[in-house]
Amino acid sequence: MKKIKGNSVSAGIAIGKAKIIDKHELYIERKKILKREIEFELSRFKEDVEFVINELDKLIQDYTYSQENRDILESHKMILQDPEFNNRISKLISNDQNSLEQAINTYFTEAADIFSNMNNKYLSHRVIDFEDVAYRLLSHIMDERKDVLENVDENSILIMENISPSFVTKVFDKNIQGLCTERGSSNSHSSIIARSMNLPMLVNALGLLGNIKDGEDMIIDGNDGYVIISPTKKVLEKYQTIYKEEQKDRKGLLKLIDVEPITKDGKKIKLMSNIEIPQEIDQVLKYNSAGIGLFRTEFLFIDRDDLPTEEEQYEIYKDIAEQCKPNSVIIRTIDVGGDKLSNILNITYEENPNLGCRGIRISLQNIPIFKQQIKAILRANVQGNIKIMFPMISGVNELLKVKEIIEICSKELINTGIAFNADMELGAMIEIPSAVITSDSIVDECDFLSIGTNDLIQYTLAVDRDNQSISNYYKPTHPSVIRSIKLTVDNAHKVGKKVAVCGEMASEKEYVKLLLALGVDELSVSPGRLLLIKKEIINCNITEIKSKLDKILSCKTSKEVMKLI
Amino acid sequence: MIRKTIKIVNKLGMHARPATMIVKAATKYRSEFKIVKSDMEINGKSIMGVMTLAAEFGSELELVADGVDEEFLIKEITEMFANKFGED
Repeated sequence: MKKIKGNSVSAGIAIGKAKIIDKHELYIERKKILKREIEFELSRFKEDVEFVINELDKLIQDYTYSQENRDILESHKMILQDPEFNNRISKLISNDQNSLEQAINTYFTEAADIFSNMNNKYLSHRVIDFEDVAYRLLSHIMDERKDVLENVDENSILIMENISPSFVTKVFDKNIQGLCTERGSSNSHSSIIARSMNLPMLVNALGLLGNIKDGEDMIIDGNDGYVIISPTKKVLEKYQTIYKEEQKDRKGLLKLIDVEPITKDGKKIKLMSNIEIPQEIDQVLKYNSAGIGLFRTEFLFIDRDDLPTEEEQYEIYKDIAEQCKPNSVIIRTIDVGGDKLSNILNITYEENPNLGCRGIRISLQNIPIFKQQIKAILRANVQGNIKIMFPMISGVNELLKVKEIIEICSKELINTGIAFNADMELGAMIEIPSAVITSDSIVDECDFLSIGTNDLIQYTLAVDRDNQSISNYYKPTHPSVIRSIKLTVDNAHKVGKKVAVCGEMASEKEYVKLLLALGVDELSVSPGRLLLIKKEIINCNITEIKSKLDKILSCKTSKEVMKLI
Repeated sequence: MIRKTIKIVNKLGMHARPATMIVKAATKYRSEFKIVKSDMEINGKSIMGVMTLAAEFGSELELVADGVDEEFLIKEITEMFANKFGED
């Protein structure tokens, strides 16, 4: 038995047999060729490259996706037409008597090495393009395109070095147990999808590929972050018990898909989903979510070296809104710290980024970029089910400026004659203590409020929750946080407006009752948690917990609060 | 043969899009085209070559074209750099 530590990016236990998906070497059996085969190998090379270029051409023309995707495919085509690529492969075949497969593998491994040694991380990230091209070419040559995943049975846990964007959707269409990669990060697109599908996934399991064989029995412990290879009988039994319980719970939850989120005392709660990338829409629809309460738009801006165009954004927003109809989609304008955008914006080093230029502040300092996003949203709202919300509002001023900009955007769109719909509810995120205190004024200038609990807790308690040494100060039920939520809700309700909670607190089942007792009208949670939270709502009696509310609000510590809820 | 020194003035440096633009433009001409950055020389008609330059904002490059249409090639590429590849 071997145990390897990794980072869990999606919780749960997976038990199965390892299926190693290696994009390069696994399918290369014939490495060397004979002298008389050189001619034939070179002609194969020419034909295969031509075939793949034609295939790319078709994709470039057919692609109903964004300009960005077309640009990527265009650059993939160029990699195949590269004269240096041609020379190098020809030499590897003619001089070194490499088989075509081996030559291609050598070339792209060399390319990957060059890129990974680059200092500039945005350039070195482009290695993924070379990997995609290599995969496309090799899978055509070996006619393995379908087979790679066709041989995967349901009992499999996929093992990969890393998972590239073009592979993600294919993998997730398969009914597999779990996924484990040697590299990768928790906020990669594949990790996000795994989470929203509740598929156990581990990344950064260093040394994994060297320690595991295809078909070997293995376990992913996505709860504690371990891969266990060839478990002993005792360990296997222990995990089988946990697995069975998890499956039972899941089956129970799936029965709730068509059940309305109504509390025991008859109050219907609007339960929506948070999404980080458009692909999560499948889960939103599958779990019957009442729309999207937080559509994060950061994915459009980070991990790339140029800005998304208005058109690209419009297509994405429109597509999500169409799929969600008749439910609504709340789009939040870009919410990142400047450090994540330093490659596309001119941002100076900040001593204290959490208190720096982030959220709405970035938008208001980069008006052309902000206007593009606003226009894309206004245009996508032709169908009428979009709402817009703004992050890091510290007071009324930002909202007034934002409204001015929306006004300007509308006028410009009228002048260009492009269809749009400015009849759209406006919301403010409440996550800064000053916004809580002045929420009466803020709510006068917008249509709804949405509490972002992660930042609200961080700013109220002045604690960075990623800082391990002080994480005990991060307390969602600290009396100051609870009273802040209460004040916000009361101020909104006074003028008949609604309050949602879209922070992580809404996704944790132990806080659901408390939030509902405080008067929160709507909850928005990650798709993978939706049914779990629905179950909590159904079992909740608001009247009962409300009777304790005075007591809860007068608690002196979070410990006292936890005892009461 | 023409040699010309230019400076990268677009903020993002030589990322994927400018690299693609350069190669696309250079491939139209018959002349040979090389780009030199300090002691590194690459084929300017190779996407792999241009991307591996990893040329950042402010760095200096030497463009070297050799052939019948060398001046037109240099002219077009120089303009692309000066126009910051359509950025901003």
